[in-house]
Amino acid sequence: MLNKNRVLVAMSGGVDSSVAITKLKEMGYETIGITLKLWETVDPVTKLRKNSHCNSTEAINGAKMICDRLGVHHYTINEIDSFKKYVVDDFTDEYLKGRTPNPCVKCNSYVKWGNLIEQANKFDAYYIATGHYARIDSSDQTIKMGIDTNKDQSYMLWHIDRSLIDRTLLPIGDLRKDEVREYASEKNLETSDVPDSQDLCFVMDGDYRNFLNKFMPEKMEKIDGGNIEDEGGGIVGKHTGFTNYTIGQRKGLGLSNPEPRYVKKINPISNTITVAKKESMFSARCKATEINWLVDTPSFPFKALTKIRYNSTGAMASIDKHDEEYIVDFEEAQLAITPGQSIVFYSDDTLLGGGIIKEHDDE
Amino acid sequence: MDMIYCDSAATTPLDKDVIKEMNYISTSIFGNPSSIHKFGQESRAIIERARLNISNLLGCNLSEIIFTGCGSESNNIAMLGLLTRGDHLITSSYEHPAVLKTANELELKGIEVSYIKPNSNGIIELKKIQSAIKENTKLVSVMYVNNELGTQNPVDQISNMTNELGILFHTDAVQAIGKKNISLRDTNIDLLSLSAHKFYGPKGVGALYIRDGVKLLPTYYGGGQEKDLRPGTENIAYIHGMSVALETVIKSQDSWHEKLSKYENLFLDNLNKFNIRYTQNGKNLIGGILNITFHDILSQDLVIALDMRGYAISGGSACSSGSVKSSATLMEIDMDEQSAMKTVRISFGKNLTEKNILGLSNCIADIVNSQKEKSSSSA
Repeated sequence: MLNKNRVLVAMSGGVDSSVAITKLKEMGYETIGITLKLWETVDPVTKLRKNSHCNSTEAINGAKMICDRLGVHHYTINEIDSFKKYVVDDFTDEYLKGRTPNPCVKCNSYVKWGNLIEQANKFDAYYIATGHYARIDSSDQTIKMGIDTNKDQSYMLWHIDRSLIDRTLLPIGDLRKDEVREYASEKNLETSDVPDSQDLCFVMDGDYRNFLNKFMPEKMEKIDGGNIEDEGGGIVGKHTGFTNYTIGQRKGLGLSNPEPRYVKKINPISNTITVAKKESMFSARCKATEINWLVDTPSFPFKALTKIRYNSTGAMASIDKHDEEYIVDFEEAQLAITPGQSIVFYSDDTLLGGGIIKEHDDE
Repeated sequence: MDMIYCDSAATTPLDKDVIKEMNYISTSIFGNPSSIHKFGQESRAIIERARLNISNLLGCNLSEIIFTGCGSESNNIAMLGLLTRGDHLITSSYEHPAVLKTANELELKGIEVSYIKPNSNGIIELKKIQSAIKENTKLVSVMYVNNELGTQNPVDQISNMTNELGILFHTDAVQAIGKKNISLRDTNIDLLSLSAHKFYGPKGVGALYIRDGVKLLPTYYGGGQEKDLRPGTENIAYIHGMSVALETVIKSQDSWHEKLSKYENLFLDNLNKFNIRYTQNGKNLIGGILNITFHDILSQDLVIALDMRGYAISGGSACSSGSVKSSATLMEIDMDEQSAMKTVRISFGKNLTEKNILGLSNCIADIVNSQKEKSSSSA
């Protein structure tokens, strides 16, 4: 029997997870802090190993300070193998296919709501908790957007196993970021001023291109430069390797058109990049794959507030299913729908589920 | 919940007498030992009395002890100070990182290094050292007691052999001092590193024994303290604390050893009663360090489950940073990776009672058995 009063709290050493564990302790839960060690790299100058920033020495020690203050246990658990397999390998594979992935989505579903749940079972803990800005509605076992719309992270949670919502606590989803910081400083939490992390945790210098080159030099060496084409197939310039580009990119294309051009398509097979004018970057339809529902499977078609990228406000769309294919029709055409990104569906603020955007069909 | 500490090979708590003595020094004496005035003289006297005491306890000359910041620093000062380009170093492949990484660095600086593997019992064999010796071999460095296994190496035999050949011998004795009587005068050891916090002294202080006549080059520079080998104003309270700790631990060594072997038997007999599947690793053990493979539970799971129930043991070195790759030491004794991931180190200290030992043993049995139940019900 798992202990319903015991919670494993994922701690990154930042202010959000620090406040999460502190609030849970206040609520009377028996909390245990866990920092997952996910990635490490070798410093090019000193040749010393260093952890990536979400599990840096400072992050681990920050979590230890908070847990010590609360008088609870803290452990660092090594999940590097799992993180590599489910998150980093997927990330690199997606770039090789010319797509732009959301590795945080996979980290959540495989590592946090995967490995951390396994740990919870070992600790006889019923619950896991994180410092995500999202809420659990226990009345109907759904995930809702965080109160702080600027910080809402529900977009990154669509891929988790629905059955685990019942075992999840998200204690800061009903706070705004400034309230979280205020709470942390009121409680004198040592991590109250730790800056928010912005970049992908395993991409140390913030440049994913450098990461790809270092992580898989042999594969990257094979990616040559190629042509940049316009939508009619005319060659308008040269690119330096398709992995260096993302859909919607305008800068750094080296084109001399008077009117700006945007990357519309990345074609790894023909090794070309297609560029277009802004007005041509809008589309009202896309297809999605790897769909996961966090509510009972809806009857198709249905309308939902749909987000095609993190930090977007979303747009209304109709979602339909033809055979195994999911088709999303937006009421208004959307700019730069990017294959590989998550497409996430909401009813008001309830997270219904999501999927991965597929390549555009040229119909 | 009162925690029971069974990780004395990692560090030990301060002895009560040591605390008293250090408190007195910290609150009463502050002069710079290098100053000419009375304040300086007072501090100098404390340091030199500590040196005299420690040299007596270790059976060496007053002039042969320098104080350092820790065991790692002692190892660094010895190895970096002795070896220059073109020299050959022989060391073991399962040394503490303080020696192993220093050896790696020396290789980059043009020093030839041979790494000798321990046998499957965790012991470095004399003949393997012998066969690695070359014309340019200047130093052999082999740890006295392995920190993970608790195995004792034949350092007397090795140092006798190196002495005959005119090769210097260094030993990292951090895990041995306080557990074993050593009279350096009766050995051919040329350099020996020790660390106070392994024998109920303070952290942040160690010593290096340098046989008279052995010349080391300084590795860093300053005001000339500790024969120019460890410059920086001396930590009077810590040095004094180390001296008191060593004296205390050596006085009680024999009676403590008796108690230890009783504890170990009690612990293992109790595991046998519960039919726990385990293997004790290593031979020729120092006592107090048990390296055990529990075949039915991962070491990380066991260490955490014990911690949750109030018992502190170690899952191998460097676990706190989360780098729970299987221990390099266990790989060196050719343990398979799966067993290595199920191996823990339990080390007994003076704080423990028979009740604690039985409690730990019962608790391990309980955790292992419930883990077995869990995995059989989920299978």
